[in-house]
Amino acid sequence: MKNKSSLLKKDILHLAKLANLKLSGVEITKYEKQFKQTLDYIDNLDKLKTDKIPTTDHVVNLTNVTFDDGKPNVRGLTQEQALTNTKKKGRGYFVVPKVL
Amino acid sequence: MKLLGKSLTELKTLVEKKEVSCEEIFEYFSKRVKKYNNGLNAFLTIQENEVKNTLPVAFKDNFCTKDILTTASSKVLDKYIPPYNATVVERLLNTGYFVQGKTNMDAWAHGASTETSDYGNTKNPWDHARYPGGSSGGSAAAVAAYLTPVAIGSDTGGSIRHPSSWCGVVGLKPTYGRVSRYGVIAMGSSLDCPGPMSLFVEDIALIMQAIAGKDSYDATTASIKVPNYFKSLTQPRKLRIGVPEDYFEGVDEQIKKKVDRCIDRLKKMGHEIKKVKLLSPKYAISVYTILQRAEVSSNLARYDGIRYGNDRTYFGEEAKRRIMLGTYVLSHGYYDAYYKNAQTVRTVIIEDFKRVFKDVDIVVGPNTPVTALKIGEFAKYPFFGELMDQLNEPASVAGIPALSVPVGLDKNNLPIGMQIIGNYFDEETILNAAYQIQKETDYFGVTKKNLEKYPD
Amino acid sequence: MDKYQPVIGLEIHVELKTKSKMFCQCNANYFGKEPNTQTCPVCLGLPGALPVPNKKAVEYCQMIGAALNCQLATQSKFDRKHYFYPDLPKGYQISQYDEPFCTKGQIEISEKKIGITRVHMEEDTGKLIHDVEETLIDFNRSGVPLVEIVTEPDFDNAADVKFFLEELQVIIRYLGVSDADMEKGSMRLEPNISLKLKGEKNLPKYKVEVKNINSFNFVKKAVEYEIIRQSQLLEKGKKPEQETRGFNENKGITISQRSKEYAHDYRYFPDPDIPPLEFAGEYLSKRKGKLPELPTQKMARYVKKLGLRQQDAFILTRSKTLADYFDDLCSRLRGKEQQVANTIVNKKIQTNLTVEEFIKEFNSMTRISTVTDEQMKKVVEEVIKKNAKAIKDYTSGKENVLMFLVGQVMRELKGQADAKKIREELQRRLK
Repeated sequence: MKNKSSLLKKDILHLAKLANLKLSGVEITKYEKQFKQTLDYIDNLDKLKTDKIPTTDHVVNLTNVTFDDGKPNVRGLTQEQALTNTKKKGRGYFVVPKVL
Repeated sequence: MKLLGKSLTELKTLVEKKEVSCEEIFEYFSKRVKKYNNGLNAFLTIQENEVKNTLPVAFKDNFCTKDILTTASSKVLDKYIPPYNATVVERLLNTGYFVQGKTNMDAWAHGASTETSDYGNTKNPWDHARYPGGSSGGSAAAVAAYLTPVAIGSDTGGSIRHPSSWCGVVGLKPTYGRVSRYGVIAMGSSLDCPGPMSLFVEDIALIMQAIAGKDSYDATTASIKVPNYFKSLTQPRKLRIGVPEDYFEGVDEQIKKKVDRCIDRLKKMGHEIKKVKLLSPKYAISVYTILQRAEVSSNLARYDGIRYGNDRTYFGEEAKRRIMLGTYVLSHGYYDAYYKNAQTVRTVIIEDFKRVFKDVDIVVGPNTPVTALKIGEFAKYPFFGELMDQLNEPASVAGIPALSVPVGLDKNNLPIGMQIIGNYFDEETILNAAYQIQKETDYFGVTKKNLEKYPD
Repeated sequence: MDKYQPVIGLEIHVELKTKSKMFCQCNANYFGKEPNTQTCPVCLGLPGALPVPNKKAVEYCQMIGAALNCQLATQSKFDRKHYFYPDLPKGYQISQYDEPFCTKGQIEISEKKIGITRVHMEEDTGKLIHDVEETLIDFNRSGVPLVEIVTEPDFDNAADVKFFLEELQVIIRYLGVSDADMEKGSMRLEPNISLKLKGEKNLPKYKVEVKNINSFNFVKKAVEYEIIRQSQLLEKGKKPEQETRGFNENKGITISQRSKEYAHDYRYFPDPDIPPLEFAGEYLSKRKGKLPELPTQKMARYVKKLGLRQQDAFILTRSKTLADYFDDLCSRLRGKEQQVANTIVNKKIQTNLTVEEFIKEFNSMTRISTVTDEQMKKVVEEVIKKNAKAIKDYTSGKENVLMFLVGQVMRELKGQADAKKIREELQRRLK
């Protein structure tokens, strides 16, 4: 992991954009420092030899878990249920400010 | 009849024998919650109405409960009412239990103190000036003060085991894939494990019987048959117990002392104690940090405030921090170095455990490096959550089951937990060992001691 | 204009005709339904919900891949593709990144080989409806199974692109896996177009993606427009920008969409909620074997084995329903395939009749098959001999006597002849 262990302000702003988060100036400064701490720690993985070792994407040894098409839909929600947790709705739709 | 401190198993039997009614039990716990919850802030939501012929179980507030407020202790979800039940909830509702209430947690399960909750701290029942641990702090506190006989929590990197230790209760993180995650607000998808917490090992077995097993709504649940956990408790076995040196490093002396005392006792009980060599937990911390944050950044992407909840400006600092770091380790140019590399070390850790489990049945050691910290001390520790969970993270990363059992108190009268780690899908052996400890030592007097502070 | 060679590739999305959605049991047929009436915690992206893949959808994707002569993967998985948009409930789309179900296919169009880079599975998003000041969102479509087909940039003209899409549509409809209807949105496409100097080996360093194309005719127009626009820029010494443009149907032009401030970083990683999929080589061979006879194969068979004309074979194979109908008829009218083809192609008999009804009409129309031309001519001769007076009347101007004569011939032949042919023969003989 020869990558930089400190994130510059512009990197943090870029990440915030990707993550759809708004950060204040104070937060950005704080995160710069905290990320460095975390990234420094996790660099310890460099000490382990891992060439030719496969990744573990799933700890359970399962494959081909699927469901049969046409199975009864027991979990279906009514329109009311689907819309129940928001005030921003109308005529059966979720409503947001105009998206370009 | 005096109900204080009775196991759920016993309450069930008393109801069956008609020596006490469900109604009385409902009243009993309602009174206790009314009396003590304000001081502890263990429950965020309390079920006011009795549900006939059922016994109470408390659920951590990241379990979706139909028509009952579910917030994951975050202001983002401060009005969220799920239109469905988590499978774990559904299974318990179908076996004679009701949702007694929702317990406090670290917001989004991010933490080991319950301090990151947007709804205030939960106090440790042993000392109100201290944390209960986390992230299932509310559940642990509710059980420790006997506001509920059993609580359900979730463990991603120690979130059941850690508060169980700090609150002096028993808590089990099952094997990943043993219990359905459907309806549990996701934190680390490849790590999250719902599990029971109680004062009694038989209650853990009872609940596991009801909730474990394949779920067609969760593709990561295993088809492996659910054994009769209860039955295996009654057949105590002599076990080969591994003790890893590396898991005692950086641990408070008093904790080491009490854990050693328990191990000696196990030896006297006829079990074989073996020294084993396991990879240092510090690697698991790095793997866990990377994987968990990556998965968190992904799992929290759905909270955009459009279909439910408030928008992303309502995320707390810890959540934002984890989302940012998770985004970083998945981002273009860094994926291989961080995420992919962590998944590779994960394999190393798994192989390491597999090797050790060829020679032993369980591995034991301290569960936490320190006992319950004072509220406010959080800030002292860099990268707090992960370091508090350092001894728990290896089992989390490997996906193997592990349990915390109280084994003593420190000089400040704070509980100490010992961790019992088992092989894949071998909760039976862990429970077998824990039950023997319970029966033989009564947890060295820990669990009942605190109940004196919480009379009816 | 001639100095540049277009380099065109296509990205096509096809909505599958499964009963259930891709990762939940909600109804996948959302067309015309009241908004937000076909959702569940999974496709609405509620907290705690988890995906489980639809087995049939995976099979359908493999069928499409096999029909396009792809290699079917023995190991595959789903990945999360992250971006924020109001129609994407989870903030990520479950898709496939580096282990898609199908890769490296090829089909032939107008004697050119078009490479198919990949065919993979993903889930559809919700639908946005833009109002004056607001945008409305309907999640009925969220989670519907979507197959993405990506071609190599092997096209060099708009006509081939259109032809390819028409052929692809027929193939997909043959498989019965999707309606592939552009109007209903069950087939969507995005061409990417760039230009290179003729003879240049390397691919151009840019490509322009065009969105919002709603018919095959419009694809042709959009591609043609882009070729011209880009060559004009290149002639001026300018390099066309790598960008996404929207097609404006009314004006027949493409317009630059607001250029993105940053390139998408989708942060793909394997979906931890979905275990990987593995397929034995034998199973995959069986899948390939189970494909119905595809249009190209059918056409080849019609031309070679049944002796049909290429054009007729083409028409008959444009719809599987029609081709199956034709095959059914042929199995019962052996030896008469060419006439059946002719009858259908020239619309002499309606194809909305049942097979039995068609055969009845066909037989009555073409009694030549039970009565040979020779026999018919012989009977015509006999009738002429027997009806000397009528012949005299006809030749002296009484035209309607012909009908009577035709009737006489028909009677002799017990109605098993084509009245038209009889009349023609009589007219010929009586000239």
